[in-house]
This record gives sequence, C-alpha cells and structure tokens, in this order.
Amino acid sequence: MRVPFEWLRELTGIEASVDDVATRLTNAGFEVGAIHRAGEHWDRIVVGEVARIDPHPNADRLNLPTVNTGSEEIQVVCGAWNFEVGDRIAFAPAGARLWDPYADEPVLKELKPTRIRGVVSRGMLCSTKELGISDDHEGILVLDPDAPLGQPLAEALGGEVVEFELKANRPDALSVLGIAREAAALYGTEVRSPIPEARPNEDGASESVVLGIDDAALCARYSAALVHDVKVGESPARIRDRLEQAGVRPISTIVDATNYVMLELGQPLHAFDCETVRGGYIGVRTARPGERLVTLDGQDRELTPETLCIVDAEGPVALAGVMGGLDTEVTDATSTVLLESATFDPISIRRTAHRLNLRSEASRRFEKGLPPELTVLALRRCVQVIEEIGAGRGEFLTADAYPAPSDPEPVSLAFDRIERLMGVAYDRSEVRQALSALEFGLEEDGDELRVTPPFWRRDVTAPADVIEEVARLVGYERIPDTLPTGQVMDLAPGEIDERDDEVRDVMAGLGFAECVTYALTSEARMARLVPPDLLDAPPDAPLGDADAWAEVRETAMNDAGRSLTDRLLPLDREPLRLRNPLSMEENALRLTGLGTMLETLRANRRHADRDLLLFDYQPAFLARDGDLPEEPNFLTAVIGERVSADRWNETGTVELPFVRGVVDELVARSGVPTDQASHDDLQHPTFAAGAAAAVTYKGHLLAAYGEVDAEVAAAFDLDERAWALLVDMPAVRAASAGAPSFSAWSEYPSALRDLAIVVDAEVTQAEVQDIIQRAGRPLLQSARLFDEYRGQQIPAGKRSLAYALSYAAPDRTLTDKQADRAHNRVVRALQHRLGAELRG
Amino acid sequence: MQERLDALLSAARTELAAAADDGAMEQWRVTHLGRRSEVTGLLRSVGSLPREERRAAGQAANAARRELEEAFETRQSELRRGADGAQADVTMPGYPVRLGSLHPLTRTLREIRRVLAPLGFRAVSGPEVEWDRYNFELLNIPADHPARDMWDTFHIHDKARPGELLLRTHTSPVQARVMEQIQPPVRVIVPGKVYRYEDRDASHEAEFMQVEGLAIDKHITMADLRGTLTYFVRAMFGPDRELRIRASYFPFTEPSAEAEMSCHACDGDGCPVCGGTGWIEILGSGMVHPKVLADVGYDPDVYQGFAFGMGVERIAMLKYGVTDIRSFYRNDLRFLRQLR
Ligand SMILES: [Zn+2]
Repeated sequence: MRVPFEWLRELTGIEASVDDVATRLTNAGFEVGAIHRAGEHWDRIVVGEVARIDPHPNADRLNLPTVNTGSEEIQVVCGAWNFEVGDRIAFAPAGARLWDPYADEPVLKELKPTRIRGVVSRGMLCSTKELGISDDHEGILVLDPDAPLGQPLAEALGGEVVEFELKANRPDALSVLGIAREAAALYGTEVRSPIPEARPNEDGASESVVLGIDDAALCARYSAALVHDVKVGESPARIRDRLEQAGVRPISTIVDATNYVMLELGQPLHAFDCETVRGGYIGVRTARPGERLVTLDGQDRELTPETLCIVDAEGPVALAGVMGGLDTEVTDATSTVLLESATFDPISIRRTAHRLNLRSEASRRFEKGLPPELTVLALRRCVQVIEEIGAGRGEFLTADAYPAPSDPEPVSLAFDRIERLMGVAYDRSEVRQALSALEFGLEEDGDELRVTPPFWRRDVTAPADVIEEVARLVGYERIPDTLPTGQVMDLAPGEIDERDDEVRDVMAGLGFAECVTYALTSEARMARLVPPDLLDAPPDAPLGDADAWAEVRETAMNDAGRSLTDRLLPLDREPLRLRNPLSMEENALRLTGLGTMLETLRANRRHADRDLLLFDYQPAFLARDGDLPEEPNFLTAVIGERVSADRWNETGTVELPFVRGVVDELVARSGVPTDQASHDDLQHPTFAAGAAAAVTYKGHLLAAYGEVDAEVAAAFDLDERAWALLVDMPAVRAASAGAPSFSAWSEYPSALRDLAIVVDAEVTQAEVQDIIQRAGRPLLQSARLFDEYRGQQIPAGKRSLAYALSYAAPDRTLTDKQADRAHNRVVRALQHRLGAELRG
Repeated sequence: MQERLDALLSAARTELAAAADDGAMEQWRVTHLGRRSEVTGLLRSVGSLPREERRAAGQAANAARRELEEAFETRQSELRRGADGAQADVTMPGYPVRLGSLHPLTRTLREIRRVLAPLGFRAVSGPEVEWDRYNFELLNIPADHPARDMWDTFHIHDKARPGELLLRTHTSPVQARVMEQIQPPVRVIVPGKVYRYEDRDASHEAEFMQVEGLAIDKHITMADLRGTLTYFVRAMFGPDRELRIRASYFPFTEPSAEAEMSCHACDGDGCPVCGGTGWIEILGSGMVHPKVLADVGYDPDVYQGFAFGMGVERIAMLKYGVTDIRSFYRNDLRFLRQLR
C-alpha cells in the first residue's frame, strides 16, 4: 500500500521526518518496503503561473505562454492546450533536468533554450510523465490554485510516498487512517479522523431504495447512499495527486471519490448509475443457474452458483466486491448515483476473485475481512468528498441493511500473563497506555484485565493478541536475551539418522563431490534412462505404459534387472505429477535421481576431462495409494570415464571393479557383512550389457552399479563412457548387523603362499574364491586376488587368476610343512573342481 | 685400537658412499652398526683391556660408533633427496589427491545443527510431500485464508483426494507432526527441502532448504527466543554480531518477530551485502500461536514456546559470499571445489 506522507501527516499531526516514521512503523510490524521521493530528481522545477498566452507566429498547433515564477517572467513555446491564463503549473526553466518522455529507459535530460519554429523557448511546462510521476503524457500538469508561486515543485506536491508491505492479518492497515492510528499511537498524537458527524434525517430510514440480503453470512451489512445532481468530470488536483501517488489512476469525480475514500478508510465503495438500477431494489445473493453479467471490462460472464452478486429487481448488476456491471456504470450522462458500501464474506470474495483472476484493490480488502461498522462511516465521508468537489449533493445514508449486528468480543487476561509469555516485566501503566493509545477499551478487576478491541481490530481475539499489542507498542527492544532452561526432551520421532551423515562422509572420502539436485524433474528426463526405441512411448507419456514395460521386463531384463525396477530404479511407475508445474521440464517428482545426475555429469564434463565423481543423497518419491508417498533416501553416484592415477598427468580408466570398491566400502561401513552380499550379473536397459552388477543380501537388492548403456549415455549427450551406482540405503540399513563386532586373529606368524591358476573364462571369481575358502579351512586366514590375466600367454577361452593366501593357526606357529599341506589341499580342490591348472 | 678404528671408519665411509638403495643401506647398517659389527665387537672387548686403557678405548670406540651413525643418517637423507644428492624442488605441485567434498548446504546445515545441539535441540525430519492439513490447517492457516498468499504452493495431482497433497512450502508442518506425537518438553530443529511455486532468479529458488526451530515447555519466553537467536547468530557469524527483532506477522506465531543481525561484512557501517543499512534480515520467528498448540492437543494455558525458521541458502550465501542462490543447485565442480 502506497501512502502519501503528507496525507499521513494530515491525519496524525506528526512532525517527525518520513524516515523516522518509517523506522518506527517498521519496528511495530508495519513494514516499510520503500520510500518514494517524487521530487528526488527534480532540480529547479518550480510552481509557476500562466501570465499570458500568445499565439505562435509561425505554427498553429503551438502557443507561447509566458510563465510568472514569482521572480521573473519567461516565455516558452508549448504544444499543449489544457491550461488557461491564471493556472498554476509545474515549470522547468532552461537548465533544469527532466525525464525524457520519449526514451525507452528512464533518462534525465538537461533542458536547454531552443528555438522552435523561429521563437526561442526558455523553459517548459511539464507533464506528469516528464516529471516521472506517471506515464500520462497528455497535457500539462495543472496544480492546485493555492500552490505558492516559485515554490520548488517537490514541496508543492508533498514529496514522499511511503510504500508499506502489509501483512494478511490487518485489514485495517490497508488504509491511510489505519496507518495513521498506528503512527499516532506510537508518537502519542491524536488521530484527526476525516469522518464527518452523521446528519439528522439521513439515517437510512428512507424508502427510496429497498435492500434485500439473502444470507447474512455472505453479506453482513449493506449500506447505500444516493447522490443527486451528479456532475461527472475531472476531479480537482488535490484528489488526483493523492490518488496518483497512491497508485490509483484518476478517472472522474464520482469514481475518484469512491477510490479516495477506499484509500483513506479502507472500505471499498461502488457507484451505480441509479437510473439503470431496475425496480428501486438492490439485493445481495448468489447467482442463479443461467444468469449472466457483462462486467466493466466488457466481458460477458456466465455466473457460477457460488458467485455472490448484487442484483436489482431483474437480475445481476455487479459481482459483489469484485467488479461492477457495464450496464449500471456511472457515465458522463449520469445524474443520480447510488453508492454501495457493504461487508461481504471474505472467503466468498476471495474465491470469486481467484476463480475469475480479477484481484483488485477492493477484493484484496474484502478478502481480509472488513468490520461492518465501517460501511456507514465510509458513505458519510464519500458523500462529503463528493459535495466538497462539487460533484453532487447527497444523503449520508439512504438505506442500511444490517441483519445481525455484532460487536468485537472482549478478551480477558491476567496482568502477569504478559510477563510469563514475554520474559520481561511491563508496568501496569505501560500496559494501559499502550492499549489506550490503540483505542482499546480497558476494564480492570484486580489482577485481571478486560480488553475490548475497537471495531476495526477484530483480529484481536485472544490473550496472546493483546500481549503482542503491548509488546509491539512498547517496542521489542525491551525484550532481553535469556536462554531456555528446563528439561531435555525425549528422543524425538523422525529424528535425523546420523548414519546419513556418515554416508556422505564416506562418499566424500572416496573422492566423490556431493551434489544437491532438484527433486522436481520431468518424465522425459527419466525416460531418457532407457534407450529411445525400447518403449516407443508417445511424447506426452514418455515413460510408457504398463504393456510396454511388461515386455521390457520380459525381454530386456534378468531377475536382478526386474528387482532393480521394482524399487531402486522404478521407471515403470507413475511418478507424482504437479498440478501446476512451472514448466514441463519439471512437471514431476523424481523416481530416481539418476537422470539429473547424468545431466550434472555432462555439465561438468564441459570443463573437466577427469575425476568426475559425483553423488547425490536425496529422497526419491514413490507414490502410495491413499497415503503420502514413500521418500526413501537413495544414493545416486555417477563417474566419468577417466580418473587421476599416481602422478600429475596420469589417468586410469574406470572399470567395474573400481565401482565395486566404492559399493563394498559403503556397504561394509553400514554394517552389512560384505562377504555375504552377493554380486550378480545385471541385465537392465539403463546399463551396458555385461558390465553391470546387482548387489543382494539375503534376497534383498541393496545396490546396482555398472557402465551406463551407450545409447543412454548418448541421450544425455555424454561423449565418453559413464558409470553409475545406485544404492538403496534404507535396504542397506535393514540388512545391517549393527555395530561391527571384534574377532580375534592369530598372534602367531602367518605363512604366505601365492597361487596363480588358469581356468575356463566362464568360471567366476566368486566360485574360485568359494572353493579356496572351503578347502583352506581351518588354517586359511585370507585369500586376496591380486591379478587377472587374459591373453596370449594362456589358451583362448581361459583366464588366469592370482591370489595371495595367508595361513595361520590360532595356537602355534605353523611349520612350512603344515602350511604346504594346507595349501596343497586348496590347489587340489581347484584342480579337481574346476580343472584349474597351476600357472608359472 | 685407534688405528683399527680409523681403518674401519674409512672402509665404512667408502662402502656407504656406494650404497644407493634401501637394501644396500640396510646391509651397511647391519655390517657396521649391528650386533655383530666390528665396532660393537670392539666396544665389547673394552672390558678385557687393562684398566688404565679402558677409558680412552671406550671413548674412542663410542666416538667411532657415533660417527658411523651420523654418516648413516646423512647418507640416508641424501638418498631421500635424490640419488644425485640434489635438493628436491619443493614448489612442485602435489600429486592429485582424489578426495571428494560435501556440498556447502550440507556443511551449513551441519554447522547449524552443531551450534544448536548444546541448547538441547534435536534434529528431526519430515515428509516433503505433505497434506494440506499439516502444511496449512494445523498451522492456523485455514483454507481460503488470505495468509495462504504468503506461500505459493505446488499442488500434486491426486484423483483420490484432490487438493490435499502438496509440496511443503516450509518445514513448519514437522512442528505439528512432532507435537502430535510427544508431550513437552519439545526442543527440535527441522532441516529440509521446501518448495515454492515461484520463478527462479538470483535470489529466489523454487526448491530450497529451511531450518525450523521449535521449543515448547511450561515457561519458555520471548526473551528465551531472543537469547537463542542472539546466541545463534554469534556462533554462526562471530561474537560481535548484534541482533535486533521487530514486530511481524506469521499465522502460526503470536507475537511474531522478524530478526536481523548487524552486518558481518561491514560491522554495521553499511555495505553492498546489507544494502547499505548495516543490518541483514536473517529469520522469522515468534511465540507459537495458542491455536497451533491447542490443535495438536497441548493446553495453551500450560504450555508455551517459540519457533523460528530460516533459509539455509541465505545463511550459506552470507557465509561464503555467494550471490546467486541457483549456484547451489547447479553443482558445478568449480563451485563445489571452491567451497569444500
Ligand atoms: Zn554490510
């Protein structure tokens, strides 16, 4: 809300500076967002009077006004005609600076004497646009006739406009009077109410208008006043200036008067051309089926049954509180006006305004809930303004319907409650003074305080509200700093799992940079995680349908792949979709973070050729029927093709075991016995065939990793191989055996034996390892793989595996013979079971 | 004796100069300084010399041993510096270390948790997809209340329950969730992602992180709120920070307060960081509204307390001098490495 500061001054008598008032109001909760100083850039622009107007000798569309600035007379050349001799105008002599009205950007230009069609112009009569007051460039700004000659324009126009950022709880603050009340309370001055006393015989008992309210819940009060002998025309400068400064466009006398009173008192008013209201009747009701109304903006609207309308004897004439009807609009021909001042149901107005996307200054005020007491006060003031500006002659109140009058409820509280809540003591006299300054009624009964809010403060309904008023007015700077004392709480539900911190620490320790990515994504981005022709899905449902997925599951996945699709990479599920997305690029909540992470990998690839190791540890969103979605924390890591090796410029290529090392460490740190987790071949269209694995523990899928399928990588515009790792951390936690437990090792020296064997290429390392472990019992302590070889030195279809084995006994030092015996058992088992040949 | 020692030293030195790797060095050490070395033997034999010679012989043998030890050390460090004995270029960059990094938001969140933990605040989390009831109604923001305009909301398509599922617009719904489940005393902070239907620019995000604080007991006061916030800004931004609070409005607190701290960049003199005012808005807060307490089953005549909420990105931006909030979500390694 924009408030001209001089208006605020007029209603409060405050003499403090605008900055001081802004600071104190801000601290009291009336936040000032900006102070606009209209004259900030005006230099040497003054109030002048048109002393004479001569015709231009060489141009009919120009004239030659001579301006009296109080100290000299200056002749200028002018192209506007909307002024007369004797008018006071805004005058810029040569040398003054003005906004260039023809520039696209705001630019200040110095005015120079110029010769126009042979006559020298030594200054300029200004329009509001050149002054930067408004965009209106038509005609010269004509000032109030009382503006003192020669006075700097900034002073003559009152200067500062204070822009408040007001909160939803204070409808009274959407008015100059409301802010004035607050300011007066803070500065200890009296509010100078602009509302005139009632006039006798204008008490709403007239029968010239009949009012009917269908439902008092939708319209608590409807008051009307008639204005006769209406003269529609331009309002005087004083009214227009204030409206413009407050950001409301002046239109014509009657409309300007209603807007002026809305700004001043906070009550929206509407003016009907009385002759167009049929049957001398005004009613308030919801629309009936089939009813229509052409509104002021020219739109022919069908009215839905919940729309609250103003009707005459025949049908709707306005959308209550939102917009008037075109047929009853006040025009130049209007002679009698019916002024409406009503209290509508805030919810009904809010819904209608939202539904029709017609939010206005009026609807904003109704939405917040206006007090019914205000309707008649606003009518009086409006009629008074209309009479003052000579736009008509009216009755203060012609008709008034107020079916169920109600007063604000008093609030009781004990004085000591204030200290109990605030942690600081206030004198009773301070409490009284603060509340009285805000015009609350006070009654005291011993330690009890009974507070009756003024009619405009229906937001105050409970002791805490009263306490806030006191604290606010005395000032929050009174509140000291203390720390809460008392008991420590029990374990809280939903407590953050510190193991989540450890997951991040482990990943960072393993070389990964943590990313925090958006949860919002697009279905298209997720669909790119399978090769494009696989689903053959339409662009509007890029994730495909159930039939397509059934086929993919059957033909492009093994059991591990299907298990991965069931939860950790559930691309066949319906994602949660937004009803109001910002764009189609983020229309759904993610089922997996992998798409976003591959994009992040791609973005970073543009400026780095190695060490692209990224992870993200944020929830995925898996819908559940009739409940909130599950939000499991899935870990998503992506890795670029090359990583640094030992020296400065050496790099290695990421291979599957690189990723497995990460998985094993992560899983082991979470308390899952890694030797019991099995890694199996994974077939899933997101991953490259033959280069991916799934990790399961006791039948539950914990993780999947591998090289990203080349087509998928290409779909993300990646120009090199990429690796991905997905970990279902909740599943890992469920598999965890808890804290690691200690097991003793042999204190006696170990006997070390190396073993290199050649086996069929299809034989897996796990099989070899398993045989070694079984055959090596009980002396074998560990068998560490240290090499794999395929190539010319061994037959085709074979591979060589080399292990370092360590043997020890718990109770003695093994002799060479004993170690050899144990080792030979291992060798024989491998030969026997796998047909392995010893190598080297 | 001395002659034998001199010969031994000279031979040992020659051998030492030729030792070029760890194996040769070890062998030299065993030969010349080990238990079976000549010098050790000589030392042992001192006892069998005539009494008047023992002292001088012992000193000479010990000096020789020290000399051998020093020669060994010197050679060892020569070898470490380089085979040719040249000084290593200490300005060479280190080999690349593959150590990752935590996201600056994670680090900021952890710092906030660490700062508030000693005051008894436990960190809890809650769902990001919420019911309207928790995000609004239980926070004293009924349907069609104009205060709803304070939060532009993403709604979720849900045929079964239209209009009820949304992306939480603040972490405050977790307040209600915690209070529904346990009796006071309550002292929690709630970090987490929140969502606003809002176009992104340098200072606005559609997704961002908040931390909510809540303390409920029989006698927690607004002064306790102020004290907690003062403690917080000093712990986060240095002991010289001043806090000021002013009246504000949030539907779930009464009284409500906006908190500002004196600018850490200019100490309150005014600079671009604080927009020239010397003060920086840092969080919103207030005493929990009696209606909110009553709606979760607490007796508002018995229990009271405070709540506060802040944007984590904002804190991180102030701490690290980041000027565009979107940087946190671009995950550019150059950004992540800088703020590691
Ligand atoms: Zn500053």
